[in-house]
Order: sequence, then C-alpha cells, then structure tokens
Amino acid sequence: MSSIDGGKDLPRPAAAPARPGAPRHEVIATAQRAWLTYLGGMALAFLPFVAFINDAHWLNILALTYLMGGLAASWNIIGGFGGQFSLGHGVFFAIGAYSTAIFVTRWGVSPWLTMIPIAIFAACVAMLISWPTFRLRGPFFAIATLAFNEVAFVLANHAESLTGGPRGLSIPFKAGLANMIFRDRWAYALLMFAFVALVIALCVWLRRSRLGYYLLAVREDEDAARAAGINVLGVKLKGMALSAGLTAIGGTLFTMYLRYIDPPTLFTLPEVGVKFALLSLIGGIGTIWGPLLGAALIVPFENWLRSAYADSLPGLSLAILGLLMVLAALFMKRGVMGVIDDLLKRRRGKGAS
Amino acid sequence: MTANASAPMLEVRNASKQFGGLRAVDGVSLAVRPGEIVSIIGPNGAGKTTLFNLLTGQLVPTEGEVRYLGEAINALPPHERARRGMGRTFQIAKPLIALNALENVMIGAFLHDANLNVARDRAYAVLERVGMVHLAARRAGELTLSERRRLEVARALALEPKIVLLDEVMAGLNQAEVGIEIDLLRSLHAQGLTFLIIEHNLKVVRAFSERVIVLDRGKLIAEGTADQILNSAAVIEAYLGAGHVGSERAAASDEVRA
Repeated sequence: MSSIDGGKDLPRPAAAPARPGAPRHEVIATAQRAWLTYLGGMALAFLPFVAFINDAHWLNILALTYLMGGLAASWNIIGGFGGQFSLGHGVFFAIGAYSTAIFVTRWGVSPWLTMIPIAIFAACVAMLISWPTFRLRGPFFAIATLAFNEVAFVLANHAESLTGGPRGLSIPFKAGLANMIFRDRWAYALLMFAFVALVIALCVWLRRSRLGYYLLAVREDEDAARAAGINVLGVKLKGMALSAGLTAIGGTLFTMYLRYIDPPTLFTLPEVGVKFALLSLIGGIGTIWGPLLGAALIVPFENWLRSAYADSLPGLSLAILGLLMVLAALFMKRGVMGVIDDLLKRRRGKGAS
Repeated sequence: MTANASAPMLEVRNASKQFGGLRAVDGVSLAVRPGEIVSIIGPNGAGKTTLFNLLTGQLVPTEGEVRYLGEAINALPPHERARRGMGRTFQIAKPLIALNALENVMIGAFLHDANLNVARDRAYAVLERVGMVHLAARRAGELTLSERRRLEVARALALEPKIVLLDEVMAGLNQAEVGIEIDLLRSLHAQGLTFLIIEHNLKVVRAFSERVIVLDRGKLIAEGTADQILNSAAVIEAYLGAGHVGSERAAASDEVRA
C-alpha cells in the first residue's frame, strides 16, 4: 500500500500551464487527506456506540447498522465502483454464514480461524459463477445474478444434511472471545464496527489503487477501458472476488451474532441481496461513504417501522422501502452523498466568488 | 526513422470482413511504416470504421491477416493491442464522464506503473503536451466536444504508444478547433509518433497527411499523396457520384478542396 506514504509530490515537468486551473492538490486528494477523512468518518460512525454503550436495544440496532453498512460497502466494490449490479450477493453471504455454522457445530472450530479461508472460498466461487455471467451487461447481468440467488435458496433448502434444510442451523451459546460469542451486546457492536471499518479502509485504498481506477473505467465504458489496455473481464473478476470475500466475512459475523440461520434469513432478496444494493443506492452508489450512510438511515428506521407496525400493518416496512427507492431514483440519483457533495460545491463556489 | 522505414509497423494483408450478406471490407491491403501519417478516407459506409475495428481488435477479419510489429495479431484482443503500443480514439468520443480529465488520462498512464503518484505525474505531463492542464480538475462530462476528443487523444498518449489510430477526431469541430487539432497532431508527429487516421473531411486530410488511402464500398480504390488523390477521377466519383466526372470534375474537385 505504497499510496499511504503521504502526498509525496514528485517533481513534474517544469512547463507552466498556459492558463491557471484548479490547484493540483485538489484535482485528486492526497493520500494524507484521504486517510484523514477516513479517520474522521469512522470516528463519527463510532460516536453512537459511545452514546448507547449501556442500551441493549440500541446496541442491537447499531450492530446491525454497522454490519449492513459493511455488507453494502462490500457490495459497492463491484456494484458501485465496478458498475456490475449484482443481486446475487446473498450467495456469498450464505457461504460465509453456512460454512461458519457447519465448522462450529460439527467440529467446534473457532470462527476466527475459518473466517479468512471461508472468505477465500467464497471469492473463488464468485469468480467461477461470475466468469460466464460477466458476458452479460446491465439488466441481463442483474437478472442472472438474481437467478443464482434463487438456485442457492432451493439448494440450501434441499441439502438438509449440510444446511439443516428449512429447519436451519443453530449454534449453542458458549460465551468466549475464542468462540466469537459474547454475553454483552456492546462486544458484538464493536465487532461489527471493526468489520465496517475494515471494509471502508479497503475501499479508501482501492479508490487510490490501479484496480480501483480500472473498475471505474470498466463501469464508465468497457470499450474505452479496453483501448486503455485494461483486461475488462480480469478487472471485473478481481473486483467481484474482493466484494464476495468481504461479503462472506459479513456472513460469518451475522451467524455468530444471531446464532441461528435458515434459508429465508440468508436468501430473502429484500433482506439480503437487494438490500445491499438498496442501501448503497440511497446512500450514494460508487462512493466510499454512501453504503454506510444508507445503512445508518435505513436500518434504524426499518427497525422502528417493524416494531411499531408489524402487527397492525405487516409488510409496511417493505412498502416504505420501495417508495424510498423510487423517490431516491427520481430525485437524488447520486444518493445522499450526491446531495452532500452538491451542497459542499455550492458553498465552495459561493466562498470563491 | 528513415533507417527503419521499409519495415511496416502496422499492416493489413488482403483483409475482408463479412457481415451476413454484406462485405464491409473487401480484400484490403495496406501498410503503415514507422513515422508515417496515413489517412483513410471514403464516403459514408465505405468500410472505414470496420477496417479500423479490424486493426484495433474489436473485430476479427473473415479472411486475410492483420500484422503488427512483424507479427500476425488477428485474434489478439483490443486490450493486448493497447498494451503493445496501439493507442486509439473512438468515432463517438468515449470519455469516462464521472472522472475528471486528469483521472481519465491516469487510466491510460496506469498501464506502465501501478503507483498512483507516478500515474498522476505522467497524466499531468500528457495534459501539458496536449494543452489541457488547466482543465485537469474538470469532469469529463462537462468538457466540450473538441476537449473530449483531445482528452481521448491524451488518454491514448498516456499509454506511450508506438502508433495512434484516430477515428474521425475532427468530425463536428469548427474551423478554429480543427486548426488547433491539426497543429497538435503535427507536433506529436514531429516528436516521432506514427498515425493512422480515418477522416471524412478531405480538407483536413490534405493539411497533414503524407499518404492517403481511399476506400469505397469496402474496396481500396486509390492510394497516393493528398494532391494525387484529390485529382483522382475515381475518388471524385466515389464521393460525388458518376455524373460529376468529366464536365463537372473541376468544380467537384474545387468543392472537395474548398
């Protein structure tokens, strides 16, 4: 990660520009500035944890928000930066969840040990199923990934010896750091915070790396990317592998938090595959902070809707989420991050004039 | 440059491309030598862009051979050709609109070095070469047509190419912009770059081409210097129709030159 070494400015050709443009340091952020922004953002995201450290109800919501923020940010790597609108990330999430549960319940292996190998396995599966799928573009790709999710749903229901089928798998409560099972809610919230912090750090690094730029180029125009010497399929596969691996880690954490998983929990589209995309869209697709912002807005709101109206109006939260998505698509195409960006630009523009 | 002038850099041997019943390119042979500027002209539908796509790898020829640096590359994918020093632009400019001008050029500059700072500095140097440094922070989607075209040239130059293939970079530009573009190409050529250019506008071709190749209905119908081509009956016929040859030939030739 040579890009973290601060904004070291190599000497450039001396020729002065004919007309003055924007100062060079503003054209792309220096590494120093990118990582300071990261620290600032994560500190802000940590504040509610400090505020609610003794409130079990809010710690639960926080843990889910951090987890969904991390999962949406993982999806955003291929869905946002790479522009490949996958709706099949439930498959990688489920690989993380089931594999962890199987290792814990059958052989008592610590989830800490299996987490990374499972993520690598999920990355390999992702590359295998993406290789043919990446020949499809736009909505056709999205539909194909949707099909993978549904196929995996059916398989998980049928493979009873492995997944427990519709009965699901439950993990006995044996508290201990080594087992990734905790008595206190705050420990889970902290764990989920570490996850989202890791994913977003990877995004900050990616956005300043060649792979990150190549993903953006592929999203913007595949032919132009090829003309720039980019192996489009290779870049998509790398982005998908990274995204799927992180999603599987999220699956591990989810399993260890709930200690019970079954096919509907892992494959229901509005709760998993579509949710990752939706949170990113609302927060700001293709941005570093959008997915976490989307989770911070939607997860607590949804939780409240569910607890307040679950009995009187079941399905209300889904209807409202759908409405929000339509409104976001109509009025803020770049999500909340886009609105914030525009406001900042307007203020800067006023300050300059 | 002259020492190596006899060995073609980019070559097409008897290439054809069939689309169903249409033979878009029909038995075309041509060669571009290091340091040359070669133009391909022809009326709409002459097969210029199809030939271009055979050269850049977007299409594979039905018959014949594309050779680059002495090697047959018929099936080599476009990105591999770019890596071997073949830069190109598109007839419809394809800037990466969400990125700023600097980042657009960095996409090309990353080819030779994965380091962000190195790519950024190379991209600045290229923007200086094409006179666009003052637009570095501008989003590509906010650039004018002529700036977008020049940005594509810059992205291609960032690959440090041996040859640059330009697909109608002058189309839709006004007189002043065309003048700027021609000056830019001349200065790049003076620095040793080789060009193969598709151009619809004969005036433009005349201003800077050493050698002109004329395509009509997929076939190569003439090859020579710009002046030879502009006086060729076959070319005027292809552009303006058979009726113009003869009595109206002088007038047609004037129109083409105007």
